Formats: sequence, structure tokens, C-alpha cells
Amino acid sequence: MKAVIVLFALPALILPVACLGYILWQGLPALNWQVFSGQGMSGFAQEHGLYGQVAGSLLLMLGATVIAAPVALALALFTRLYLKQRLQTYVTTLLHLLQGIPPIVYGLCGLILFVHLLHWGISLLAGQVILAVIILPVLVLNSLHALERIPGEQTEAACSLGLNNGQLIRRVWLPAAWPAMLTGLLLGMARALSETAPILFTATVFSGVVWPDSLFSPVTSLQTHIFYLAQEGANSQVVGVAWGAAVILIALILLFSAGALWLRRVQYRHRRMSG
Amino acid sequence: MLLKFSLYACALLVLVSALSVPVFLLHASMPFWQAAGISSIWGREWYPYEHLYGLLPAITGTLWSIFIALLIAIPCGICAAITASELLPRHLAEKARIGMEVLAGIPSIVYGLIGLWVLLPFLQAVFDMLTGHSLLAAGLMLSLMILPTIMLMSMDALQQVTREQREAGQSLGLDWSTQLTRVLMPQAWPGMRSGILLALGRALGETMAVMLVVGSLDRLPQPFYNILQPAQTLTSRIGREIGEAAFGSIHFSALMAAGLMLAMMGLTISLLGKR
Repeated sequence: MKAVIVLFALPALILPVACLGYILWQGLPALNWQVFSGQGMSGFAQEHGLYGQVAGSLLLMLGATVIAAPVALALALFTRLYLKQRLQTYVTTLLHLLQGIPPIVYGLCGLILFVHLLHWGISLLAGQVILAVIILPVLVLNSLHALERIPGEQTEAACSLGLNNGQLIRRVWLPAAWPAMLTGLLLGMARALSETAPILFTATVFSGVVWPDSLFSPVTSLQTHIFYLAQEGANSQVVGVAWGAAVILIALILLFSAGALWLRRVQYRHRRMSG
Repeated sequence: MLLKFSLYACALLVLVSALSVPVFLLHASMPFWQAAGISSIWGREWYPYEHLYGLLPAITGTLWSIFIALLIAIPCGICAAITASELLPRHLAEKARIGMEVLAGIPSIVYGLIGLWVLLPFLQAVFDMLTGHSLLAAGLMLSLMILPTIMLMSMDALQQVTREQREAGQSLGLDWSTQLTRVLMPQAWPGMRSGILLALGRALGETMAVMLVVGSLDRLPQPFYNILQPAQTLTSRIGREIGEAAFGSIHFSALMAAGLMLAMMGLTISLLGKR
């Protein structure tokens, strides 16, 4: 039995690592300053370098975070402050349901509402709002979880001292919950960087943009750039650029998710020592 | 007062936008339902230029690719979780967990590159296919992508089985496999189940990787178990065609209907997960 289980487990333990190794093996040699800056490069999709795409991805992600984070925090605080236990479970159920809707569906809704009905066109802002909606449930659920872990005694003590809600949030809840909330935020940012399908037809174009002029102009992004390059598989130079872009994208994502993992680990250790 | 007002406003905003997603999809797909009728769900032909909008090939493709993905990912993921949490020493198990968390963060478009430039040539050589684009390729890609989710959730579930339970099992003299099947698995199954449903939802909504390897050919598998021929899924159809469908046309509306079906499937899956 043990042998059978290990046998089944082997592909699951080896294949993903092999994938990551393969990406690095293909992508790292293709990366150099020229590919990034485009200096002295010519040929399909290479003359502008990749920095425009990196900037576009980061802009989309930052915008989504700036929009989603305050709303998520407000919704979590609202739920904990004003709703009864039963309604609180309804809120989490609703958030789980929202999480169950595939991202591309949000992309479709955004396409109708922002791109067509509001006449924003294919724009940075449309992509940011769509990504914000996609990461919102994760952020709220995480914040709720963090707030739920605050011992009831602390809240009661604060209330018995006569603190009002604003003081309760600022002095008791946020100081206790911010590390967990930040963890969730970092995970959400990593998620926003990796989503491709919903921004493909609402926010990004293939080329012609290096730096967007305004919130209403289209951008390029690493994710969608990789997709466009993938369709040009016959050109070996393009293949190299695509793997290079993939490595940059993974590095960016890891920056955020590793930060989140590290924070979570610190909190875990902290809790274990104090509890 | 201001705090209360702004929190209420935020919550209302989220509630309204959450409810507006299905309304939007229904409204936008209405012209299609009126023109083509509900029977197009099981229509077999999809030729937008001849006003034939049968959704059955895409639905079949989606179901097939998810089925293949789960068939591989469930046994492998659970076995890997058992191996990591029950057989490996603690520090190795932690390393396996970190590795899986990293892999869960790799964006789908990068998996798409692997599928396109590694898996497809491989399938082409092994099965002597024209290009390798097939439902099998889509299913294999999906299984790779949902493996981390299933394994991480199963590992969490196994590690949450209390020490008392394990010791009780051992003191009864249960051997390793009985301990596993009679003590650990029944205790951990609810957690594993929700991991599987989460993975199922992810597989359903996955767009980029599937789009690159599935072939985007609107044909029912002939015969129905032929997974080696190019096909189409709901997500890949939306991703491929939304760019060329004019806003307001029946074609656009039909793609919205595909989005609506995706959303309904996703909601069903997360409702199942709530129990």
C-alpha cells in the first residue's frame, strides 16, 4: 500500500518541480539587459523591450489593489461591526460564491459595462477595476478571518472602557489583525499579476504602447504579451523572448507570494510562542 | 457617524455589484436566447457566420477536459499529500509544501507555454497526431495546474487530524494501511473534498492554458470518447472569439450565453462545496 501511494505521489512531487526548472532553463539564458530595454534589438516584438510590459502589469496590479483594498477592509469591518452572526455567514457564503465564478466571466461583464456602455474603451482603468473585483473576495475573506481570530475578551474590554467604534477599530482591531490582512493583500496582488484572460480583451493591446498616457488608454502587459508571443512559435527568437517574459512574470509573482508566505510563517511562530 | 455611513455605503456597493453580475449576463445574452432559443444548448453546430450557435461541443469539451484533469489530479494529489504528511520527515514535508505553494502561484499563461511547446510536440510524437492539439492535452495541462490545490488542501486536512486520534489508532494495534483508511482518511475527507471542489472550479474557469492547447475546433468528439482530436471548451471559445464579435451582435450575445453557463456551473460547484 505504501509503495502504491508513493508511486502515485511521484509524478505530483516531481513534475511541477520539473516544470519550474524547465521554465528557468529556457528563460534565464534569454534574459539580458537588451531584451529588457530593447536597445539595439530589432525584429518582431523585440524592438521596444519588455519594460513597457512590466510597467503595464505592475500598473494593472497596483490599480486593482488600490481599488480593492479599501473596499475589502470596509466590507470586513462592516460585517464584524454591524451584522449578526447569521448574516455574517451569509456574507461569507456570498463571497465564496463570487469566488466560484470564473475570472473570464468578470472579464465579460467588464467588457460590456466599462468598455462599451461607459465608453472607456479598451483601457487601463477597465482592467484595474475588473482585476479589483476578481481579487476582492480573497481580500475580504482574509480580513474577516483575521478579525475573527481577535479574542472576544479584547473587544469586550475595549467596549467596557468606553471606546467608540472608530477607536475600537484603530486601537484594538487593526493593530492585532494587520499582519494577516497584509498577507492576504500580498496574495491578492500575486493573483492580480497572474490573471490573464479577463484583461486580454478589456485592457491590453499587443504593441504600440510603451507607457499609457492616461487611465483610459490601453496598456501592454507581460501576461498578454506572452500569449501573443506564444502564437508565433515558429520564430525561435520570439520563443526565447516569451520564456524570458515568463521568468520575469514568475519572479514578480514570487516576490509577492513569498512575502505573504514569510509573513504567515512569522505570525504562526508568534502565535505558537504566545499561545 | 461618518464611519457607519461609509461602511454601509461600501457594503451596499459590493452587494449591488455582486447581484448585478448574473443580471448583466442574463441581460446581455437575452438577444441570443430569443433568436436561437434554449435548444441551442444541445445544438451540435457552431458557425457564427451562418447563425448556427450550438453550445454542445463546447460544453462537452469543458466536461471532458475537467474529467481528465480530475482523473489524474485527484489520486496523484491525495497520494502526494499522504506521502508528504505521513511518510516524509517534517522538514521535508515543509519543503514540499513551500514548493507546492510556489507552483500554485505560477500563472496559467506560463503553463500554457509549457503545454504549447513541450506537451504538444510530445503528444504529437507519441500518438502520431497532426499537431497534438486535443482534449487530452487540455486535460493534462489542467491536471498539472490543479494538482497544487488538491495536494495543499489534502495535506492541511491530514495534518489537522488530532494526535489523540492517531494514538488511539496505534494503541489498537492498527497497521499503517488500516490506520490510513480507517482513521486518517475518514477524518480528512471533508477537507480533501473541499480542496477537490476548489480545484474543480479552477479547472472550469481556466482559460489561457486551455485555449493554447485545445485546438479551438468546434466539433463533437467522434466517437464521444475520442479525446485525441482538437476540440473547444466554453472558456477557450470566449477567449478566442470575443475579440472579433461586434458588440450588440447575436454572436456577442451567444458568447455571453457561454459566459452565463460558465458562471452557473461555477456557482453550482461552490454551492456543493458549502455543504
